Amino acid sequence: MALQTSAENPAPVRTIANLISGYIDRLGTVWVEGQIAQLSRRQGMATVFLTLRDSVADVSVTLTAPRQLFDSLNPPLIEGASVVVLGKPRYYANRGTLSLAVTEIRTVGLGDLLARIEQRRQLLAAEGLFDRALKHTLPFLPHAIGLITAHNSAAERDVLQNTRRRWPQARFVVGYAAMQGTNAVREVVEQLRTLDRDPEVDVIVVARGGGSVEDLLPFSDETLIREVAACRTPIVSAIGHEPDTPLLDLVADARASTPTDAAKLIVPDVAQERAQVEQARDRVRGALQAMLDRESRQLADLRDRPVLADPGGELAALMEHNREVLQRARNAVRQRIDRAADDIDHRLARVRALSPQATLRRGYAVVQTPSGGVVTEARQLGVGAKASVVLAEGSLDVTVERIESRADVELVNGKSDG
Amino acid sequence: MAEPAGKDHDVNVSDLSYEEARDELIAIVRALEQGGAPLEESLALWQRGEELAKICQAKLEGAQEQLARAQGADES
Repeated sequence: MALQTSAENPAPVRTIANLISGYIDRLGTVWVEGQIAQLSRRQGMATVFLTLRDSVADVSVTLTAPRQLFDSLNPPLIEGASVVVLGKPRYYANRGTLSLAVTEIRTVGLGDLLARIEQRRQLLAAEGLFDRALKHTLPFLPHAIGLITAHNSAAERDVLQNTRRRWPQARFVVGYAAMQGTNAVREVVEQLRTLDRDPEVDVIVVARGGGSVEDLLPFSDETLIREVAACRTPIVSAIGHEPDTPLLDLVADARASTPTDAAKLIVPDVAQERAQVEQARDRVRGALQAMLDRESRQLADLRDRPVLADPGGELAALMEHNREVLQRARNAVRQRIDRAADDIDHRLARVRALSPQATLRRGYAVVQTPSGGVVTEARQLGVGAKASVVLAEGSLDVTVERIESRADVELVNGKSDG
Repeated sequence: MAEPAGKDHDVNVSDLSYEEARDELIAIVRALEQGGAPLEESLALWQRGEELAKICQAKLEGAQEQLARAQGADES
C-alpha cells in the first residue's frame, strides 16, 4: 500500500513516522552478534543505552536494555565485550530514532570465543588457506620492511630495535593500526592492502605485544585471514607471546613467537654474515699463501741443485774428469810405449843374439854368392866363382882360386886368428 | 742424449705459464744431473734453466705482491 504523495498533497510527519514504524516492526525479533562499543548507564534511567558494533564493518546500532536486565549480567558487561543479543527493532516516532530493544544479552564467554575460533580455523583450513604450498619464502635482504602495529607500542620498538641491531641499514614503512578492539581488523586490513601494493616493501610484519584472548581476537578474524591469504608480499605474524597462536599465525608465511623474534626472520644478522664472509676470505688467502710458500720452497730447491747453482763447479768437475781421463790415457800410452820399448830391446837382443855379428866378431865370416845366397859348403862354388865375404867389419869381394874338401882343412889349435 | 721429456726448448720463456716453466726447469735439472749431454748442449740447458728459474721467481713474487696489496688494502 504505497502512499500516494505529491508536492501539492504531502503527507504529514506523523503519517510517515507511523509507516516507518510499521516497516520496521516487520523485521521482528532477531539474535544479533556484535561487540559492545559504548555503554551509557545513567543514574535514575530505567533503560540503559548501548552501541553494538559489527566486528568487521563500520556499522553499529543502538541498543536499549532494561536496567535490571543489564545489572543482572554476570560477569558484568564491559566495553569491547563480544555479545549475542535478542532484540526487536523499534522506531521512536517523537525523536525519529531507531534502536534495538533488547530482551536478552549473552556475553560470548571465553570458551565460546575459543570454540568459535576453532570452528573458523577448521573451516578456513578445509578451504586450504593454511596450506604449506601457499607460503611465500621471505626475502634474504628486504628493500623495505612493512610494519603494521599500534602507534609507539612496545611491539613497534622491539621490531625496529632488534632488526636494526642485526642490520643497521634496514628500511621500514610503518603503517599504524588499532591492534585491538572493534577497529583493529578494519585498520589492519587497510594497512595490509597499502603495504602489499608498495613495490618497495618485500615483507610485511604484523606485530602486537601480548594480550587477552579478546585482545587478540581481531587476529583470528575471518576477513583479516582471507586478506592475508590474498597478499602477494610475504607476511610475518608476530602477535602476542609464545603460547598465543591466533589464526593469523597459520595463514602468515612465517610466524614469530614475539615481535623481538620477528627481527631474526626478516633480516640476516649482518655482523654474523660479515664475519662469515671475512672468515671465508681469510681462508682463501691462507690457502693461496700456503701455495705460494710451497712453490717458492720448491723453486729454491731447484735453484740450489748444483747443476744450476754452480755450473762452474759442474764444469770444473767435467774438466777434472777430463783431466783424469787424459791422465789415464797418457799413463796407458806411456805404459804401452815402455812395454813396446822393452819388447823391442828384447827382440833386438834376440836378434843380436841370433845375428852373425857376434860370430863374425869372433873371427868367423859369412860367404855369400853374388845372389846373396849363403855358402856353407866349398863345393857350392866353383874355381873362379865370385863371392863376397862378410866380416865383423866390412866385407870382401873374392874370387875362388882353389877348393879343398873339408877333410884336409883343420883349424889350427881351435882358435881363430884374424 | 735423451731430450728432456717433450720439452720444446725454443718456446720463449716469458710465454710459458708458471707450471710449464717450473715443469721444464725440473726436466732440465734431471737431464743435467743424468749427465752425458754434450758440453755445448749442457751449457745451453743450464742457460735455459737459469732463465726459467728467473721467470718462476718473478711470477711467484708478483702473486705474493698482489696478495700483500689486497691485505694491505684491508688494513688501511
